[in-house]
Amino acid sequence: MLVVLGLAFLALPHVYANQSLLFTMMTFIALAQGLNLLYGFTGYLPFGYVGFFGAGAYGMSLLVLHAGMPALLAVLGGGIAAAAVAVILGPLLRLSGAYFSIANLATSQILYLVVANPALSPVTGGPYGLKIERVFAPEAAYLTMLAIMLIASAIAIFFRVSRFGLGLRAMTEDRVSAEMAGIDIVRARLIVWLVSAAIAGLAGSAYAWSISVYYPQAVFGLQISVFAIVFALFGGVGTVIGPIVGAAALYALYNAIGITVPQYFELIYGFLIVVLVLFLPDGVLSLLERRGIRVL
Amino acid sequence: MQLLEYALVGGVLYGLFFSLVGIGLNVVFGVLRMINLAHGQFIVLGGFGAWLLYQDLHLNPIFGVVLAVLGAVAVGIPLYWAVVPRLQQSRDPEMLSFILFFGLAQMIDAGALLAFGASERSIPNGTLGAGSLGILGQAFPDSWWVAATVSVLAILGLYLFLSRTRLGYATRAVMANRAEALASGIDVDQVSVLAFVIGLALAGIAGVFVPFLLGSVSPSLGDALTTTSFAVIIIGSLGRPLGTVVGGLVFGLGTMLMETYFSSWSSLVPYALLVIIVLVRPAGLLGRAVREA
Amino acid sequence: MSSEALIELKGVGKRFNGLAVVQDLGFSMQAGEILGLVGPNGSGKTTAINLISGVYAVDAGEIRLQGQRIERLAAFRRVHLGINRSFQVPKPFRAMTVAENVTVAAEFGGSKVDTKQILDDVGLAADRDRPAGALTVNHQKMLDLARALATSPKLLLVDEIGAGLNPGELASVADLLLALARRGIALIVVEHLLKFLNRITDRVIVLNAGRLLFEGTLAQASAHPEVVAAFLGG
Repeated sequence: MLVVLGLAFLALPHVYANQSLLFTMMTFIALAQGLNLLYGFTGYLPFGYVGFFGAGAYGMSLLVLHAGMPALLAVLGGGIAAAAVAVILGPLLRLSGAYFSIANLATSQILYLVVANPALSPVTGGPYGLKIERVFAPEAAYLTMLAIMLIASAIAIFFRVSRFGLGLRAMTEDRVSAEMAGIDIVRARLIVWLVSAAIAGLAGSAYAWSISVYYPQAVFGLQISVFAIVFALFGGVGTVIGPIVGAAALYALYNAIGITVPQYFELIYGFLIVVLVLFLPDGVLSLLERRGIRVL
Repeated sequence: MQLLEYALVGGVLYGLFFSLVGIGLNVVFGVLRMINLAHGQFIVLGGFGAWLLYQDLHLNPIFGVVLAVLGAVAVGIPLYWAVVPRLQQSRDPEMLSFILFFGLAQMIDAGALLAFGASERSIPNGTLGAGSLGILGQAFPDSWWVAATVSVLAILGLYLFLSRTRLGYATRAVMANRAEALASGIDVDQVSVLAFVIGLALAGIAGVFVPFLLGSVSPSLGDALTTTSFAVIIIGSLGRPLGTVVGGLVFGLGTMLMETYFSSWSSLVPYALLVIIVLVRPAGLLGRAVREA
Repeated sequence: MSSEALIELKGVGKRFNGLAVVQDLGFSMQAGEILGLVGPNGSGKTTAINLISGVYAVDAGEIRLQGQRIERLAAFRRVHLGINRSFQVPKPFRAMTVAENVTVAAEFGGSKVDTKQILDDVGLAADRDRPAGALTVNHQKMLDLARALATSPKLLLVDEIGAGLNPGELASVADLLLALARRGIALIVVEHLLKFLNRITDRVIVLNAGRLLFEGTLAQASAHPEVVAAFLGG
């Protein structure tokens, strides 16, 4: 399946000219999958997921600008930067449900307000953002994003089939019982948290590389979290292909109707969320599962 | 010392207003155990209501308060019945309602943007009284005093409703223990609808003063208002409506002091307060903030 | 301190919101021993189980397993060291099958076990592929036990397994617990059914209002005026 996904995005630029659309689609597949790793497998819904995306973008760009690092290496650095932010935010995992989500949202806002603060202009560019156009390399960035998307999906497969994944399932079902089964819950959820953050950080890095000139809002906008959540929910969290299908289908739809008046799309996907939660809380793929077709 | 006094008086006025901003969210949460993530958007709608009254009908924006109550009844009752009972049957009402109201917030954002455009709408300060009232030698526009007064009245009204009326007593019973309230014959649905409508009405009333206290109203304010409300009610402890006043004052004073002394960082205040509070005293807020294990 | 003791508690205490629910609790047990833990409702029995298994952290005192201090260890570490438990209200992984429930514990419990044999022992072999949530409460209690056994415990804490069982089921559970003890597992059995307890052990501890009121045989306990008063009063 990963091969099919990989080949598809390798071949598509040859038949469809709008490579930046394909790139953004891959970005959202990676993000939806990364969010799915956390929400689908541990139940923590990170409303501030975009914070890691932005941390990756800024981490990568600052490494290029201030340390003169080659772009690809800096992408890796961006992933590490996001994971480092996740370590600092680790205590948030003590919170449950909506508290976690809102506190996480607040932390992403804090990151944004710090990065975009005029007082830090000499370092972060403040409200004017950053320019890394001297490492601009769309082809390489495209392939990097492709790799990140595949890695995210490979990890989701690992969570679905491995012993570690079995432990995660047990944890989401009953925390105390999982501990009585001998599972180190704190460690397991910290690992998933870091992995999920790193995926967003890598995606943010590759995204920054690709657009190369950006305002802080472009990589810290709440809308990015929103997209990742809706895409993952739409396809079905806790599966591997749910977020892929959700992101590909809805992002294509977004481009079909959203370009001219994006508010119509916002209206539609807001409505979509409401309808999904009420009638299909496990995503469209759960329709298949109800018919007895097992979905990876 | 001039600066400090300005910050203190302003902080109290601003804080009382933010108690009103947050309290509706708290009422809804207390009774329904659901977080209305579209709370900030309902505040924005209240703001636009007041703006329309002023702009198109040339009425005093204070009538927005009446409009907010009527709007809350008209929207709240059908919305409650459309989504809440079904959510309460679902596998995870808390989380799923959270996501659902988030979707609703997106719809209101988009709708407001389509209807009013992205620009910031303001109402001249003079419409709520031309003068400015001073205390401790610090003058603040009348609109601030009006907002703070209405906030106090609304919260007092809520307090009297909860403590002096039969229905208010039932509401407190549901807040304390939904299952037991149900078992003791309280019409939980009736109480819940009412709480939902009250929550929306309080949000709308707060919205009327947004153009004055925040300078203008625009569709993009919704999310920030929701997060700020959340911070306010968490500081004052979730599920306890009157604690919200404490939360509002802490937030108001904190913001005003930051604005006075470190203005470029003052926008961080609600978020930083929120994160600090949930991490420092999660258990004190409400038992359920912390995971069991 | 005797090094032979498998488990030893000294001065263990726990407060909730300032209220002492367990105070100055101390006792010790040998391998293969069965200890009945009785007392009126709210006397701190389940809290004691939660403190030993690590679901709650102690506020005071020490707990030693084979001489090693464990009262600060996370629950899963105590599981790896050989402490496990069942729950008064059973807590299976409801969406997983019976076999998966036991497999999780076998995988993460830190020991090699025959999960099939364990399911046989508790009488759930026929239900292995059913979702745990579909079992009766009684069977879910047995599944709790099976999951605990899959981690090869040295000390097993059994919380009110007898409630709701018919006499035939009670007899087979008693036989099972006795067989486990013969394998060298120490058992602490919280139980209201004194007849059931009488079948498997003659050593009991009586708790009242969080304090150890009596330690000795069941027969002595029922003749002890304070114990009788506690039960009638509670």
